[in-house]
Amino acid sequence: MLRFLAVRALGALGVLVALVTAVFVLQTAVPGDPVRASVGLNASDEVVAQERERLGLDKPLPTQYVGYLGQAVQGSFGESLRTGRDVRDDIGAFLPATIELAGFSILLAGAGGLLIGILAVVSSRFAAPARVLFVGGASVPSFLLALILIYVFYFKLSWLPLSGRTNLDSAPEGPTGLLLVDSLLHVRLDVFVDALRHLILPATALALVPAVAIGRVLRSSLIEVYRADYIRTLHAKGLTPRAVLWKHALRNALSAPLTMAGLQLGLLLGGVVIVEAIFAWPGIGLYLNQSIQFGDLRAIAGVTLVVGAGYVFVNTLVDLAQAAADPRIRL
Amino acid sequence: MTFTREGRELRALRGVDLAITPGEIVGLVGESGSGKTVLGLSTLGLLPKTAQIEGTVTVDGVEVNGADEATRRRLRRRSLGAVFQDPMTSLDPTMRIGRQVHEVAGSTAAVLHLLDAVGIPDAQRRLRDFPHELSGGLRQRVMLAIALAARPRLVIADEPTTALDVTVQAQVLTLFRQMRDEFGCAILLVTHDLGVASTVADRICVLYGGLISEIGAVRPVLDHPAHPYTAALMASRIGLDADRHSQLPIIAGEPVHPSSDIRGCNFAPRCPAATALCREQRPALAAVSQHDGLAACHFEAGQEVARRLSAVAGPWGTTTTASNEGGVSVRQLSVHFPGRRGLRRSKPFDALSEVDLSVAAGEAVALVGESGSGKTTLLRAIAGLQEPTSGSVTLGGRGRRPQMVFQDAGSSFTPWLTVGQHLEERVPHLPTAMRRERVSQALERLGLPAEVARVRAQQLSGGQRQRAALARAVIEPPDLLLCDEPISALDASLAATVLNLLGRLRRELGFAMVFVTHDLAAARLVADRIIVMTRGRIVEVGASDTVIGQPSNPYTQSLLASVPEVATCR
Repeated sequence: MLRFLAVRALGALGVLVALVTAVFVLQTAVPGDPVRASVGLNASDEVVAQERERLGLDKPLPTQYVGYLGQAVQGSFGESLRTGRDVRDDIGAFLPATIELAGFSILLAGAGGLLIGILAVVSSRFAAPARVLFVGGASVPSFLLALILIYVFYFKLSWLPLSGRTNLDSAPEGPTGLLLVDSLLHVRLDVFVDALRHLILPATALALVPAVAIGRVLRSSLIEVYRADYIRTLHAKGLTPRAVLWKHALRNALSAPLTMAGLQLGLLLGGVVIVEAIFAWPGIGLYLNQSIQFGDLRAIAGVTLVVGAGYVFVNTLVDLAQAAADPRIRL
Repeated sequence: MTFTREGRELRALRGVDLAITPGEIVGLVGESGSGKTVLGLSTLGLLPKTAQIEGTVTVDGVEVNGADEATRRRLRRRSLGAVFQDPMTSLDPTMRIGRQVHEVAGSTAAVLHLLDAVGIPDAQRRLRDFPHELSGGLRQRVMLAIALAARPRLVIADEPTTALDVTVQAQVLTLFRQMRDEFGCAILLVTHDLGVASTVADRICVLYGGLISEIGAVRPVLDHPAHPYTAALMASRIGLDADRHSQLPIIAGEPVHPSSDIRGCNFAPRCPAATALCREQRPALAAVSQHDGLAACHFEAGQEVARRLSAVAGPWGTTTTASNEGGVSVRQLSVHFPGRRGLRRSKPFDALSEVDLSVAAGEAVALVGESGSGKTTLLRAIAGLQEPTSGSVTLGGRGRRPQMVFQDAGSSFTPWLTVGQHLEERVPHLPTAMRRERVSQALERLGLPAEVARVRAQQLSGGQRQRAALARAVIEPPDLLLCDEPISALDASLAATVLNLLGRLRRELGFAMVFVTHDLAAARLVADRIIVMTRGRIVEVGASDTVIGQPSNPYTQSLLASVPEVATCR
C-alpha cells in the first residue's frame, strides 16, 4: 500500500515534468511576442529588452526551462505576463471555484452512473429509456450540452441562473473558498441555495457524459455478476433481492465502472476549461482561456501542472477504491 | 419441467415422483442432460422464470412450485440448504467467509460452531479470510457450513465433489455423512459418479432422459440392476479393477434430446434388449424381482443387457508396429513462474522442478497427480505452449509438433468455424477434394456422421465435441498425442467411449501418447506406464498395473485410498 503510493507519487512527478517540457517546447512554436504585448505595442525596443531581461526571457530556452523547474520545486510558477502577479497566487485565487465545480461534477457523475447502471438492470421499465440515454449521452459533447441546458433552463424556463458562482454580494469569504462549504460554515442558507442553483447547469454539462459511460459499464458488469455461481448461492441462502444487490452484487461489479470512472474523470477535468468559459465560472479554466489568448506561457504551464496533478490524484483515488472493492487486488 | 428456447420446447423432466424422508441421503445419478440438476434446482425453487413446471414440489409441508417469491425465500432460508459444484465460484469473492456464514447463522458463536463442525481448522482465525485465501476443499466446507447454518430439513448438493481432488473428495464425502448424523438433515446428492453415490447415499435414484429409470437401496440396485441403463452405467464404469486388455463395454447412441417426443421407453433407442413393446409403450416404475426398489423396464432386463454389452466389447484390435518415430524425451525440465508484480500480485511458484521423462515411440504414458502437481505444465511444455525455465524437451523422430486434446473440447473450437473447417486446417497442403475426403474419413474413424463437418462445435453434444476434437488431432496421424484431462468433464458412459476411442486409435495409428488425468482408474486403463507427480516432481514411475497394484510411494497410496469405488457383483 505504502509502496503503491510511493510509486504513484514518483509517477506523478514524471507526468508533471513531462507536461512542463511539452508546454516549453510548444512555446518555441507559438508565434507572437507576449512581452511586447504586455509592455504596450508602442514601447521602444530597449524597454522590451529590459522587460525581457527582468523576466529572464532573454536566456536560452534550456536555461529558462531549468530555472522554471527550480522555481516550481520551491512552489513558485513565476510572474504572469498578463496579471503581473505570481502565477501561484493567481491559481490560488481561481482554484477553489474549479475544485467546487469539478468535485460537484464528479460526485454527480458517480451518483448518476450508479443510478443509471442499477436501474437499467433491476427495473424493466427503465430498460428502454436507458438504451436511448446510453446512445444519446455518449454522443453529446459537453459544450453542446451546455448550450442546450442554457437554452432550456435559463432562456426558455428561467429556472436557473446563466453564469457565475452567485448573484449575492454578501457571500461569505473563506475559509475553504468553496461556496457550498463556506455558506454552511457561516450558516447562510440563502447563499448555499444560490450557489447550488449556479452549480447545477455547468455541473450537469460536465457530468452527463461520464455518468452515462459509467452507468453503461456498470450495467454490463452487473449483468455478468448476476450470472455468477455465487449469486445462485445467495438466492439459495434465502437472501432478498435487495440484499443480494447491495451487499454482494454491486461490490463485485465495481471494478470495470471504476476503471471507466478514472478515464472519464480525467476527461472531465479537461472539459472544465470549456464549460467554465461558457458559464463565465471564475475558475482556473477561465483563467487559462484568458492566458492562452495573451500567450502567457507561465500561466498556461501553471494551470497545466495543476490539472495534471488533479488527474493523477483522481486516478490514484480510483485505484484505491478498486482495491477496497476487491480484496483480491493488493496494492 | 419444460424450457422454451428459440421456440423449441425442451423437456428437462418428463414426470418424476420422488420422496425423500427426513435424515435420508439420496444419490441422484444420471448423465449430463438427464435432468438431475434441474430436479435439484426446482426443489430449491431456483429455476428461471421461463421454466414451465407441472406437478408439485413439497418441502417441509410447503408447496414450492405454486408459492410466491417471499414464501420460497423463507423456505430456502429456514428449511433448505444448497451446496454447488464449483467451490471456486460459488462464494462471494469480495466478502469475508465469516460474514457469508453469518448472513444465515445470525451470530458469531454460531458461525464458529459451524466452521468447527465442518472441519475447518483454526476457525477463529479463518473468519476474516476471503474465499480466495482458502483451498478448494476448505471452500466447499464453508459452502456446507452455509448450507447447514439454518439447520435445514433438506440439503441439495449438486456435484459437490466433482471439482475437487480425489483425496479432498473423500474427506468431503465423509463429512456429508457426519453432518447428516449431527444435524439430522436429509441430503439430495446430485452426481454423475456412481462411486460417489455409492460411498455416501442410502438410496440411489437413476435418472435418464428426464425420467426415473431405477430407484432403491444403493447396494442392491448397483449389485443387481433391473434396468438396462443402470446395468450399462455399471458396465462402462471405469473402475480400478476393469480389464485392461479389452475395450470398455459401452452403450451405443446419444442421450435423449430434450426436444424429442418419446412414446415408448426413453432408453429403447440405445437398449440392446429393446423390443417392439419397448418402442410403443412407456414402462411404469414398478416393483422388480432383483431388489426391493422400483425400475421402469418391461423386462427387468438389466442382467441380460450387462451380459450382452460385455460380450460385444471385444479385445483391442491388432497393434500397428510402432515406427522409431515419435516419442519425446524431457531432460531436467524446470518451469518457474516468477509471480506477478503490480496491481494483481501473485507469489512466485515452481511448477516443475528438474523433471526427467522419456516416452518411447508408440508408448502411452499417464501423468497422474492432484491440482498444482505440475502435470498440465509438463504437458504444455512438451507441446511447446510453455517456455521452460531450464532443461530441454526433445521430440523424437521427425520432430513434428505433437497434437493436443483439451479437457473442454467446446472452447478448443473457434465458435464461428465449422468442424469441417477446423479439420481441413490440419491438411492445408492437399487439394480441396482430397481435404474433404480426409475429413469424412477422420469423422468416420471417430464414429461421427459426415454431417458433423458442416456444423459448428457448439451445436454438438459434449461427447460428440470431444470426438470431433480427437478427429482434428488424428486427421493427419501425429507422432505424439497429448491429452489434457480429456474425460474429466464427461460422465461415465461418454468417458468410457472416449477411452475406447483413444485406445483403438493409438493401436491403429501407432502414435505415442501422454495422457494427463487425476483419475487413477482411467490412467491405468489407457496407459502402459503411470507417472505420479506432486508439487512439480515425479514421485513414482512404473508399469500401470504395478503402480496401481503395488504402489511404493506413500503419496500414490493415499491417492489410491481416496478413490471412491463401487464394490460390484462382477
